[in-house]
Amino acid sequence: MTDFSGTLVETDVLVVGAGAGGLLAALSAKRHGAAGTRVTIVDTWLVGRTGHAAFSNAWTVVVEPEDNLEAITREILAGNDWVADQVLVSKVLAMSYQRLKDLEGLELEFPKDSEGRYVRRPTRGLDDTRVLCPVGGGLEFCWRLRRGLEAEGVQILDRIFVTGLMRGRGEGIVGAVGIHSRSGAFHAIKARATVVCTNAITFRSGFVRDITGTGTLLAYKAGAALRNAEFSYTRPGTPRFYFEGIAFAIQEGAHFVNAKGERFMLRHEPVWGDESDVPRIARAMAIERQLGNDPLYLDMSGVPERVRSDFIRSKVKWMEYFYRKLPAETRTDLFGKTPYYAQNQMTKMGIRTDAACRSDVPGLLAAGLAQAGAANHFAGFHIGMCIGTGWIAGCSAVEDLDRLPAPALDAAEVRALFADNDRARNDAVQAESDNVLRSLQALMFAYDISVWKHGARLEMALTRLAAIRAEFAGLAAPHTHELVRLKETEAMLLAAELILRASLYRTESRMSHFREDFDLRDDRNWLCWVDICDHQGEPRFEKTPVPVPICDPDSVAPRSVKRVIKGAA
Amino acid sequence: MIESIDFGRCTGCGLCDLVCPADVIHMEQVRIVEEVPGLAPTKLLPAIKFREHCITCFSCEIFCPESIVDVHPVVKNRPRPW
Repeated sequence: MTDFSGTLVETDVLVVGAGAGGLLAALSAKRHGAAGTRVTIVDTWLVGRTGHAAFSNAWTVVVEPEDNLEAITREILAGNDWVADQVLVSKVLAMSYQRLKDLEGLELEFPKDSEGRYVRRPTRGLDDTRVLCPVGGGLEFCWRLRRGLEAEGVQILDRIFVTGLMRGRGEGIVGAVGIHSRSGAFHAIKARATVVCTNAITFRSGFVRDITGTGTLLAYKAGAALRNAEFSYTRPGTPRFYFEGIAFAIQEGAHFVNAKGERFMLRHEPVWGDESDVPRIARAMAIERQLGNDPLYLDMSGVPERVRSDFIRSKVKWMEYFYRKLPAETRTDLFGKTPYYAQNQMTKMGIRTDAACRSDVPGLLAAGLAQAGAANHFAGFHIGMCIGTGWIAGCSAVEDLDRLPAPALDAAEVRALFADNDRARNDAVQAESDNVLRSLQALMFAYDISVWKHGARLEMALTRLAAIRAEFAGLAAPHTHELVRLKETEAMLLAAELILRASLYRTESRMSHFREDFDLRDDRNWLCWVDICDHQGEPRFEKTPVPVPICDPDSVAPRSVKRVIKGAA
Repeated sequence: MIESIDFGRCTGCGLCDLVCPADVIHMEQVRIVEEVPGLAPTKLLPAIKFREHCITCFSCEIFCPESIVDVHPVVKNRPRPW
């Protein structure tokens, strides 16, 4: 047992997580706050060089003044299969143009054509929505924001891994505790308002596969409700190399085939075919696997020579390096038949908040993908929601400063949180959390568990999960690196349980949640969220009807435009 | 996954460690060849401590001012449960 010691940091607004949501939340809080308002942002790694946004193109949805906001809102809500917070989505879209101007104010450049119009493009699965990305992609986006926060006086604490939220002596959250992710030094950050922006949780799979959020689970343990656990982002990917651009490749003539050479997407999705939204492709792949028609391939041989170089080039710095260094034989393979399967990227489980990004717990707010406002994030809408909810949460946090009582720490609670971290340290053991992680991945990535679900299989998965948790229970960490991974794995195990149980609870199929035994959308019974609260250590599930103040499923006609599918008979 | 760092040309600036979002690289004091017997000089150099957790994001290579870090693009530690 290490003697209790640590560093106390005091602030007004604490932002946990420095992806797109957190960076915007901190900027918003600083700009909305009165002079002298203290805003602090923490991240496990270097703020401005981490988070999923940093490694993306940073495509973001922007609704320009002449766009049809109503139509865009409607198609995004419909694309979420109606499980979205309509007011919040509408607010985010309505403010997107102003946020673009804010970002330009931080010297982030967005491409314009010769007439001065922003260069935007459509995004897969949506007709009216347009997205654009900054010069330099996500790395530039995050770094400019960091520099902006520094200039405006936000306190930046790099390398603080948050391990718990503090309830203090009142009713709400009074900040967070964490460890320095290198030294392990204990920190308590006392705050009047805390904004959790730690992304959705992942099981370390595809895109930026070692970065995972844990804040949603910390909020859950601190009394906040979670929702959308049954939904996920699962997209086709190849195990052989990283490839972004499937949507554009398909538009240029690529298509999926099964082991028999059949274009299976045409059978499963006759309207959209290979251009279907990502969850529909994942579903089709899972069924093909079940039918024994695997391995499945993306056949890019039809992509014309003249555009092939476009697919091995990227504006994203790391992808540029990646493509440049890809071995010649892999470059050749890329334009042949490459094995593909549906890869689980991240859960869609987020913190339940109102349209002002306030959770049920006073002093606790959420933004970015840690917030459950939407469960389907089309390319560009991902970061669009992060920017918008970050801005809203920062504003709400500042508004709350006058309403919330002065935070009062509870010494016993702080010591208990310290002891919880300390218990998991043991210099004499081997780092073993990766073994548990591999078991968890094998369980949660299986096509018939995570994509094509069935009640009986979900029950079996829960039994298997209990065994994995038992294996995890005795583990300790010999160093800080492993302690961070251990805590992240612990969060993944809890997330897995909530995902499996929520998937059992929703007895219909909707968006990225597909039940083989309930294979139809059921609006009469399930135009609802599945909300999860901790009840004395056990998750409690309940249905919450989704309000439809802006538009409801009956008001939107099904897609009438049949896409011309290239090469289809 | 990170392959190598040319330690002979490394200035020890620590940027690779700073920008790594997976805690793979740690700067460490390393004993170097003694110029004067009995005096043991050290130099701050990066160590690839947790190669198996590299996420192939290329940050260390991108930001290295000496261009001495090599990341291999083919992903070796990706889970394949299907």
